[in-house]
Amino acid sequence: MAQVFDRSSNALARASLVLSGLIVIALGVTLNSLQRSPWVTRQGQRPDQPVPFSHKHHVEGLGLQCQYCHVSVEKSSYAGIPPTKTCMNCHSQIWTNAQLLEPVRQSWATGASLQWIKVHDLPDFVYFNHEIHVNKGIGCASCHGRVDEMPLMYEQNSLQMEWCLNCHRNPSVNLRPTSEIYNMAWAAPSTDKPVWCAPNGTSGPTAQQLGCVNSDPASNNPHLAQMTNPVGIPTGPGGVQTVANAPVIPMPINYVKFTSQEELGHYLMKQYHIRTANELSSCEVCHR
Amino acid sequence: MNETRMEIEQAMAGEKQAQVVTAIAPAKMTLAEVRAKLDGKSGKRYWKSLDELADTPAFQELMQEEFPRQASAGEWVDSVSRRGFLKVMGASFALAGLAGCTKQPDEQIFPYVKQPEDLVLGKPMFFATAHPFPTGAIPVLVKSDAFRPIKLEGNPEHPIVKGKSDGFTQASLLDLYDPDRSQFPRFRGEQAGFNEFQEQFAKAVAGTKTGEGVVFLSETVTSPTLAGQWKAVQAKYPQAKLVQYEPVNQDAGRAASKAAFGDYYDTQYKLEDADVILALDADFLGGIGFPGFLPMSAAWAERHRFDKDKPMNRLYVVETAPTVTGFKAEHRLALKPSEIDQFANALTGGNSTLSNPEAQKFLAAVTADIKKSGGRFAVIVGPGSSQAAHAAALTVNGSQGAVGKTVFYTETVVPMPSEHVSDLKALVADMNAGKVQWLVMLGVNPLYNAPVDLAFEVAFNKVPNSVHLGSHVDETGFYSTWHINKAHYLESWSDARAYDGTISIVQPMIEPLYAGKSAHDVLQTLLDPSVSAYDVVLANAKTYLTGGGAAATSAAAPAAGAAKGATSVSPDQASKAALGLAAANTPFELAWRKALHDGWVANTAFTPKTLGAPKGGTTTPATAGTGIEISFKPDSSVYDGRYANNGWLQELPRQVTSMSWDNAALMNMDLMGKLGIEENEAIELTLNGRKIITPVLMSPGHPNDVVTVQLGSGRRAEAGRVAAGVGFNAYSLRTTDGPLSASGLTIARGHGTYDLCVTKVHNIEHRGAYAQRDLEHPLSDKDGTYSLAGHEAMERSIIRYATYEEAMKNPDFAHTGTKDSNGTLVNKVGYNPQGEAVPHEESFWPDNWRYDHIEEVSAGKVLQNKWGMSIDLNSCVGCNACVVSCYAENNIAVVGREQVKIGRIMQWMRIDTYFEGDLHAPSAHFQPMLCQHCESAGCEQVCPVGATVHTPEGINTMVYNRCVGTRYCSNNCPYKVRRFNFLLYSDYDTESLKFMRNPDVSVRSRGVMEKCSYCIQRIEAVKIEADKNNRAIEDGEILTACQQACPTDAIVFGNLNDPKSRVVQRKAEERDYQVLADLNYRPRTTYTAGVINPNAELA
Repeated sequence: MAQVFDRSSNALARASLVLSGLIVIALGVTLNSLQRSPWVTRQGQRPDQPVPFSHKHHVEGLGLQCQYCHVSVEKSSYAGIPPTKTCMNCHSQIWTNAQLLEPVRQSWATGASLQWIKVHDLPDFVYFNHEIHVNKGIGCASCHGRVDEMPLMYEQNSLQMEWCLNCHRNPSVNLRPTSEIYNMAWAAPSTDKPVWCAPNGTSGPTAQQLGCVNSDPASNNPHLAQMTNPVGIPTGPGGVQTVANAPVIPMPINYVKFTSQEELGHYLMKQYHIRTANELSSCEVCHR
Repeated sequence: MNETRMEIEQAMAGEKQAQVVTAIAPAKMTLAEVRAKLDGKSGKRYWKSLDELADTPAFQELMQEEFPRQASAGEWVDSVSRRGFLKVMGASFALAGLAGCTKQPDEQIFPYVKQPEDLVLGKPMFFATAHPFPTGAIPVLVKSDAFRPIKLEGNPEHPIVKGKSDGFTQASLLDLYDPDRSQFPRFRGEQAGFNEFQEQFAKAVAGTKTGEGVVFLSETVTSPTLAGQWKAVQAKYPQAKLVQYEPVNQDAGRAASKAAFGDYYDTQYKLEDADVILALDADFLGGIGFPGFLPMSAAWAERHRFDKDKPMNRLYVVETAPTVTGFKAEHRLALKPSEIDQFANALTGGNSTLSNPEAQKFLAAVTADIKKSGGRFAVIVGPGSSQAAHAAALTVNGSQGAVGKTVFYTETVVPMPSEHVSDLKALVADMNAGKVQWLVMLGVNPLYNAPVDLAFEVAFNKVPNSVHLGSHVDETGFYSTWHINKAHYLESWSDARAYDGTISIVQPMIEPLYAGKSAHDVLQTLLDPSVSAYDVVLANAKTYLTGGGAAATSAAAPAAGAAKGATSVSPDQASKAALGLAAANTPFELAWRKALHDGWVANTAFTPKTLGAPKGGTTTPATAGTGIEISFKPDSSVYDGRYANNGWLQELPRQVTSMSWDNAALMNMDLMGKLGIEENEAIELTLNGRKIITPVLMSPGHPNDVVTVQLGSGRRAEAGRVAAGVGFNAYSLRTTDGPLSASGLTIARGHGTYDLCVTKVHNIEHRGAYAQRDLEHPLSDKDGTYSLAGHEAMERSIIRYATYEEAMKNPDFAHTGTKDSNGTLVNKVGYNPQGEAVPHEESFWPDNWRYDHIEEVSAGKVLQNKWGMSIDLNSCVGCNACVVSCYAENNIAVVGREQVKIGRIMQWMRIDTYFEGDLHAPSAHFQPMLCQHCESAGCEQVCPVGATVHTPEGINTMVYNRCVGTRYCSNNCPYKVRRFNFLLYSDYDTESLKFMRNPDVSVRSRGVMEKCSYCIQRIEAVKIEADKNNRAIEDGEILTACQQACPTDAIVFGNLNDPKSRVVQRKAEERDYQVLADLNYRPRTTYTAGVINPNAELA
């Protein structure tokens, strides 16, 4: 009986083996990149909102502070979406006839909520908490990006688990002084732009324990430099200055200069008592 | 792709008509078999159920399976062919790869238009109110998430509640969100308005001038304000009547009090000072069905803790049906109801003899002990005790000097005490005589639960206008002319007194979901309909709050105006008010705000009354009937039927019997033998010609010739989707003559079988080679008579206890056992060396986890957190409060009877009941069993996907979204505390239930394993707060839900690295032991061995 396949089909068989292997790999690669693509993560997408609210205009242009609207960011897991009342605080006076703001006035008149589309939408099994992040030195911009430069709000980062873990495994890369939390333009220290920090000797909430400045306290700010070594006030143990009959005035004493985020990050990890990477990346931190 | 989707849809559609595997064939246990096994065997043995004791083949089969009757394909998809199955599976494999890529749908945000000032979204708020209950209100603190009540706890500042709560109070949350609640008023079944009712009713009553023919039939009036309103109605319409009826009432006690003192008084017990306690059919450790359950159980437990320097109290219980109180007692005497009366009489008589020698011996011992105590004793009687028992208690407590020491008489907690059954009898006579034109029923359901001999339904039909105020269109509501939907107590203004008389104001936590009305509103219809319930409660508060009296009229208007708009006053506001910062100007307003904030009003507790010696002798009880008696008891889960539509309580295994979704005729083995009845057989009970058919459950420790039935089941379809068709209605045998018990019962066989749903056997599946080895080479069970669970309890020392004397002699009894004079180990305390942990050096498992990381906080350096729990078996009374609390806290699903029956109950903790010894007079041990959070946990080692992992703080945590449902973890868990979602048990659809869920806990879907998390959400919340403030977590700052609810403080949770924490101190006690320590799983939850204080004379 004649052979069904001739010799040349061996090459074909080999090629198809290789090819199917490649197809499997390609499929894997495709799925993998699909999973991380903005189509799934919505990174960079600007959903249609009832009002084309511009963070750029309100933050950069008008200089509104984040917490004016997101009131509970320091004290609750939710940062808070402002009630219509917050909008109307100003817009009952200005732009009262703007067509853009019709839904806001409608909401105010009827008592029905404005229906925003969630831009930063975590899965329901993730229990994210804003308060602990902003209290421990993670700035708004670290996750939300330069909101002050976004005319329409979009998601800067993927908010996928690997992205969370990048920081939870090594928080030092994103830590900043708590005084700079709401500073959208804050940049990590560099040799050109160093940061000076010093504990102010108080105990209590993390957010109040450290003073940081962007200019050299010794040379550029004589007033501050003077205060760092006040005359006549003895320095107690642990750097706490006490005078028996005078009110305690906590003051920075020993400024440390930082020229890189790595140095600053490790310093802040210690100062803010950030938990270890092991603890921060444990499952129950985010999933319950 | 489209095709596959269609296939799936078809399959999904098929699911709806799925044939569900409903039951395992009932174990064919015969009495002869059990007898044969037990005959001639003596000595201590532990067992959990009769099946297991009998060791029947069916039971063996049950035990072989990890989860009996696995979820088969047939349960998901009806009659899927193999080909179809593969197709469906193929599709799901394809989809599985894509599951991660599916886009989440857009989610919307609905911000407030005007946000309430004090609201911080994401942070719960706590408000004080009170759960009104006929035996006294339970003041509670309500956890409110964005003004939705999501959890109830006892009010921690209340003088008697002290933060503790009970199962009914915990579960009343679910009642609020019950989707079957009545949602609008009805007139002849059609939707109508409450104002229409008001007009019609007010006009009709005004027409009568005197109120003749108008009768209010109310549940026990607990609100002083409502009593005040009734007085006003009576003044306006002197002929109107109010009758209170509650199927489970305190008539016997009221009658005894009236006979002895000429008026109604309540008895309060201060068990802190009682060395000897005798309970006469009084289940005071069982739940709030007993007045003063919380303070009494707490005091009993406090005095029952083993402390070398402190004498221990001793509890004697004489009762019919076995209760948790009976099994916590040092000595329990099981008597028929008529014999209890005789016993009570003999107790007062002192010298009279009882025919039953056992009872006589018991009586002698108790009497001697009471004499010896020098007044530091209490004879306790309660709603379930007969009038004779009440009279005996009054006499003995008086004559032996307990009154003034441990027993106090006060005015009644309820403002209008009455004898319910006789009042109802008179009312029915009036109704039959056509004297009643308007019957207004406030929260009662007489068509379901009135004594059957009154033929209430006949009388009901003679009343032209009937009005029903109720939470459901229930049996009565359905047939009433008017039905008004009743507001839940979490939606209404009212007030009530707690056990000690302290007044609490009931304030609404939420706007009524369905615009429900309260009894206040109905009564106000006849007075001034424009005055709200809030106004009347406020007006009444002027009678007891400071600044009320003189300033009343001027204060009323602004106070009402200020708080009217808000549904509740936040603690913040109230504390500001207390500081005089807010608008509170008058002393009354300050006091009012303080009362709302605190949840109770100081100085309103009753002062004890001096009443002198009780008059008259005891009522002579009827001579003991020779026939079979029947005893009626409220159900330990659904009470008198009011909680019948509450899924948490229906599913909750009943105390002692572990029945879920069922009630049964309880009887002992002798009676079953005499009548030739098998367990699970359906029998016919006949009493005075009335018949019901009930299943039979053998009840160890039940007295002979008496049958106990539980009230509250057998509701009709109107009662709601949960309640309908559960169990049988025991009310249909209950008459006005014998509301507690009756004699002359006859029993007939031949009604087939009814497979009761008992959860006991579900959790003792085989535990691998160790258990097998035990069975093959028993240490103490030479005869081979122990059942498997008995083996484990005995040979592996799951339960350990000793008597007071033994414990004094050898405090380390839980670890070394007690030896007799020859030095051989006596298995007296359930100790066995085999149950001990292997020495740590020999352990195969290294110390994988370290907890010695130093954390810096502003106060210095502290060791890492390392969580652990300790449960005191001496204090645990098996009341189930913890289990219900866990339901509410952790969004646990209710699965229904069929699923429970095949071992799929989802509750994260259970109360294991181990019986010990003789079938006729066993003792029992309760052991709460929940995830032990083992250090070398078997579950973690076998999970292929890392869905159950160890945390750096030592908790064994579940990651639901990783779980793929292999169930290996549960297989490898020796404690059997893992629960698997075989089907989609969580209700994702019912809107009202969504409001109730704890937002901090995931709602688990199908195919996911779950288990106790040590309330990880509470730990994380406190941890974040502490980290923010750079401090260590203080001991007691984190309370797990079970710990918080526990009335007897049996559960303690805390940081094992903190040497000062309570949990470390508990664990340092010599009696601390691990369950199944020999497996070397190193559980973090440990148990404190019990100590009992028996009377040597009765030993």
